[in-house]
Amino acid sequence: MILSSLCIAYAGFLALALAMDRHHEQILARRPSARASRLLGWVGWAVLALSLPPAIVAWGWAIGLPAWLGLLTVAAAALALLLPYAPRAALRLGPAAVVCAPLLAFLA
Amino acid sequence: MKDGFRQSMAWLHTWSGLLLGWLLFAVFLTGTVAYFRQEVTAWMQPELHGSVADAGTAERAVERMGRIAPDAAQWTIALPGERTPAVSVSWRPADAKPNDRAALKRATLDAGTGEVLEPRETAGGNFLYRFHFELYGMPRETARWIIGIATMAMLVAIVSGIITHRRIFKDFFTFRPEKSPLRSWMDGHVAAAVLALPFHLMITYSGLLLFMTMLMPWAVDLAYDGNRQTYFAESGFRRAAPAPRPAPQAAPLTPVAPLLAEAERQWADRGGVGTITVTNPGRANATIELRPAAADSIGRGGGGTERLLFDGVTGRTLEVPPTDPQPGAMATGNYLMGLHLARFAGPGMRWLFFVSGVAGTVMVGSGLILWVVKRRSQRSRADNRADGPEPFGHRLADRLNIGVVAGLPLAVAAFFWANRLLPAGLEERAGWEIGVFFLAWAAALLHAPLRPSRRGWAEQLWAGAALFALLPVLNAATAAGHLGNSLPAGNWLLAGFDLTALAAGLLLGFAARKVGRNAFSRKAASAPVLPAGAVAEELT
Repeated sequence: MILSSLCIAYAGFLALALAMDRHHEQILARRPSARASRLLGWVGWAVLALSLPPAIVAWGWAIGLPAWLGLLTVAAAALALLLPYAPRAALRLGPAAVVCAPLLAFLA
Repeated sequence: MKDGFRQSMAWLHTWSGLLLGWLLFAVFLTGTVAYFRQEVTAWMQPELHGSVADAGTAERAVERMGRIAPDAAQWTIALPGERTPAVSVSWRPADAKPNDRAALKRATLDAGTGEVLEPRETAGGNFLYRFHFELYGMPRETARWIIGIATMAMLVAIVSGIITHRRIFKDFFTFRPEKSPLRSWMDGHVAAAVLALPFHLMITYSGLLLFMTMLMPWAVDLAYDGNRQTYFAESGFRRAAPAPRPAPQAAPLTPVAPLLAEAERQWADRGGVGTITVTNPGRANATIELRPAAADSIGRGGGGTERLLFDGVTGRTLEVPPTDPQPGAMATGNYLMGLHLARFAGPGMRWLFFVSGVAGTVMVGSGLILWVVKRRSQRSRADNRADGPEPFGHRLADRLNIGVVAGLPLAVAAFFWANRLLPAGLEERAGWEIGVFFLAWAAALLHAPLRPSRRGWAEQLWAGAALFALLPVLNAATAAGHLGNSLPAGNWLLAGFDLTALAAGLLLGFAARKVGRNAFSRKAASAPVLPAGAVAEELT
């Protein structure tokens, strides 16, 4: 549950990064259209919101909420470090995280 | 007007951060390690590494206590768990006062055999934990005031930093290590601050809360007419529960196995039984109290308030007196303070706190370095005499940065080396370990002004890297619980320490290599990478 929350959070942050001109260019070497940018932004926020329930299921509200904030920190830090050093890997990790999230939830 | 406000916030951020930054760096670093203080202490006592718990550990410990301290007024038995390999026991002699902690006698038992172990005397993780809020070698109250003031400065720096840095969301993922030193240090500082911002706010604010009755005693003094003990008793900070006097009639203690089985069944998801407290053992009014290993709530204290109480002679379940519900304000305060202490945290949560603590340490350290890097960059732009002497203040700050940001990790590593290299039977051993820590730190602080800046950085970072990376080797040379044994046995308590030390060594080595190459060279700093206006914009 913890790892699946982390995976979902990473995917959400990746979508948010892709919604920004600077990072979109960093990853895909071109600028996003205004529409794509808006869409990615909405998807990013929605996916981030989806990363909360697994943490609450695993820990309850009192511990789950601060734990979720901690997971967000780890996911965002991983992305921020990958972007300058390995932008392609940062992109490929996104779909991988989306696939892993439900698997990890079932295994736990 | 708006710009004026932001300017003054930037000024506040710069100076509140710099003046107490060195102290705050030490607080963040030692406090972060303190999340694993039990694990650190366990590593520092190799005599306990052979202790392995099994199903009979609790029973053996109770039986052993009957022989060690048959006449004690109370036994407390803390069972081994994920964070401690051996059983720690303490008992209060019959003639000691109920709340006199100094009168408690302590011992350590082998979890597998029940034998009394004689671990080496060590300052342990507890030293780093205490240092992060009480420093060392000065009156406790004074030290706490100093830390309290530093914490307040931290809060000021965080809030003024948020106001100064207006584009939090736009720069959220921005880290450009290939840009100028100024840019990349700025990015690193902002990333460490923003990505873990909830943690930084929580840890700083709750740190102040933990000191609240010391920093702001006036409300309590007014309401309780200066009688703070009454306030503590009423607010439940210090639970005063005087144990009943021992009954004159002797009676044998009931077998504990059925009680433990009952508790294990109820607390299967709470790590089973954590502590056993036997009051008036061997007397007719003996009671046995069990508490779970893991807490069910965040509030202060270890296993929370849940417990099971048994009659110590018949084994009958007794009713646990209900605890008063907490008023809202107090529950909120306890929640925040509990988050700071993280006693409730399981391994996953503990690592999250640790990672955020590292981010906090990086934030303070990079902020300190940024102060110097920014002034170097400004100086080289203002006049083209970059070769002129650096002002004394800048040099002082830079050398202090070396001695603290690079020197403190080195000192912590030296502390661990002292733990293994000092003879096990040394008199005042814990004091010597602490002595080595401060000697190493003092050496780093003295070394910094004697070397050119970049060399000083590189040398101390390399030294710290080597000391940390070689800790697993030292462990293998001096104890049986090294990686070759701990990994196959799945002993993450010991393997975790070695692997973390290795990671710290690699990280410091990476930093040392970067410094050695270019990051601090004056040439790189003075290269005109940005138009002057852009830098000013960036920094305000």
